[in-house]
Amino acid sequence: MATVTYKDASRIYPRANSKAVNQLTLEIRDGEFIVLVGPSGCGKTTSLRMLAGLEPVDEGDIFIDDRSVVRLAPRERDIAMVFQNYALYPHMNVAQNLGFALKIAKLKKSEIKTRVAEAAKILDLEEYLDRKPGQLSGGQRQRVAMGRAIVRQPRVFLMDEPLSNLDAKLRVATRSEIAALQRRLGVTTVYVTHDQVEAMTMGDRVAVMKDGVLQQVDVPSVLYDSPVNAFVAGFIGSPAMNLIEGTIGPDGITIGSTVVPVPRGLQQAAGTGKVTVGLRPESVELTGTTAGIPAVVNLVEELGAEAYVYARLAHTVDDTRFAATPDFIVRVNPKSAPKSGSAIELHVKPDSMLLFDAESGARITGA
Amino acid sequence: MLARRYVYVFIGLVILLVFVAFFGVPLLWLLLAPTKTDSQLAHESPFAFGSLTTFANTFHKVINYQGQLMLTWLKNSAIYSFGGTALALLAAIPAGYGLALTQFIGRRALLAITLVVMILPSTALVLPLFLEASEVHLVGSVWSVILPFAFFPFGVYLAYIYFSSTIPKDLLAAARIDGAGEWGVFRYVALPLARPIVGLVAFFAFVADWTNYYLPFVMTYTNTEYPVSIGLQILIGSAPIFSPGTPGSAASEIFRPDLAMATLIAILPIVIIFLFAQRTLVKGMLAGATKG
Repeated sequence: MATVTYKDASRIYPRANSKAVNQLTLEIRDGEFIVLVGPSGCGKTTSLRMLAGLEPVDEGDIFIDDRSVVRLAPRERDIAMVFQNYALYPHMNVAQNLGFALKIAKLKKSEIKTRVAEAAKILDLEEYLDRKPGQLSGGQRQRVAMGRAIVRQPRVFLMDEPLSNLDAKLRVATRSEIAALQRRLGVTTVYVTHDQVEAMTMGDRVAVMKDGVLQQVDVPSVLYDSPVNAFVAGFIGSPAMNLIEGTIGPDGITIGSTVVPVPRGLQQAAGTGKVTVGLRPESVELTGTTAGIPAVVNLVEELGAEAYVYARLAHTVDDTRFAATPDFIVRVNPKSAPKSGSAIELHVKPDSMLLFDAESGARITGA
Repeated sequence: MLARRYVYVFIGLVILLVFVAFFGVPLLWLLLAPTKTDSQLAHESPFAFGSLTTFANTFHKVINYQGQLMLTWLKNSAIYSFGGTALALLAAIPAGYGLALTQFIGRRALLAITLVVMILPSTALVLPLFLEASEVHLVGSVWSVILPFAFFPFGVYLAYIYFSSTIPKDLLAAARIDGAGEWGVFRYVALPLARPIVGLVAFFAFVADWTNYYLPFVMTYTNTEYPVSIGLQILIGSAPIFSPGTPGSAASEIFRPDLAMATLIAILPIVIIFLFAQRTLVKGMLAGATKG
């Protein structure tokens, strides 16, 4: 149980041009489940390893409970870590794996036995205590890895993509188990993943990182509704937010040849010129009162409870400048989904548009 | 098409048979030699089988030579080799681990030096070692042979290769986070996983020590201190056929079948150890093969 604070922490790999982690400043509350998320290479795992003591901190500082840990070896930080590949000791059985750290700490044998039995009970590992990791399934190994962390009763849990090696269904089931476990134990947890769905469903707060820089940290709903820039907007949410080019004018935003009205405050703040328009798949419908943006249906994804239409905006179809632009995604009712190849009109729901600066990607907010 | 493949297989077999003959024939001769008397050896076919009685007689003759000197030589070889191998393991395995999996200043330089020293012929070091040993008054004691045997850069290198390719770095990180110090990580995680390489290095060290001639030759000087490698040379020296004019009574005359028997006795321990250790050795050699 502890607070964790990163203060301008940086990591620069030797012979590298840029910082792997660039002045990360982050305050994590006691008992909080915080998720570091971002694409590969964004610095999330490096940040976690800096906290663990497995990577040196080149600039800045890291505190656990207001005590700087930067000069402490991993074993002196009172943390426990779950690795992506589990890193179970292959020559020891499950009980020995769980009890290893306690044995190193020279706890009494009876105490070790009790704690191991407790953890095994919580994680449903009681019948596997005699087996070696090589005789376990992926899911069981993952639970042993978690058990090894729990049994230590540390101040902070560190988890490095622990669900990545599980199959999809097991991942979803284990996700909620981990979240429930953390709530029950109340231990401060720093969790790293590249999967934004995991981040959004598990975290009390989510920290989005890109290229070593922290983009935004907040509760999932705020990240979703009020992303601070186009990257966060496009990263959070599945399917991804549509980000298209538009031009601000006196009447609204011109997308292609359609003019879409924009709330006055937003229009004033945006000024004139090019902007990036952000529209979530659920912010657009196929029928409506405002002017519709013409598009052609490319394909329709049927997911049972909903369907997603992938369409090419009409004004981009013949323009080579837009050749690499992804399809525009619209969420529709599966019962009224259009057919591939048909012409549709996209109507923006009022007050659902987000505007971003065309160059910097920063979000434009109305006064 | 099939015919061409058969031709390639046939050519391959022929080449392999040539190699078998090259290595195998002398060994076969060696095995058969003690079953014949010296004149039989000279006049009959090299692959002729003499008699088991002759074999037994030759055996007794060699063992009893000059008051069972052979047994003393074997005992000395055992002391030098087991002692040397034990020390070599104590030094090489942790050294290989340190070079492979820990960070310290000069690690890469040390690794390069190990590789260079590996290429050095060990005989070139014997004279300097003798000078050192006499400085500390060790000459004439078993330690003058056992201590230099502990120096085994090839073993260090084998251990380095093994540790750097078979132990996942995350495993060590997990142990460090779990509270183990560097020694704890080595003792509880790396060493238990190192059985194959311990077996391999032990075998190589043992064979090198057992067959080493020059170092014990320089460090020891009485008959009763010699290992069997030097003992064999003494036997050859006592064989009139190889050193005419050597004084010696008829009872201690050594002939070629006796030399062959002595050789067989001298290499027997290594053969036995290898047969028992085969599986571990192969595992140790292939350990790095599949992991990245």
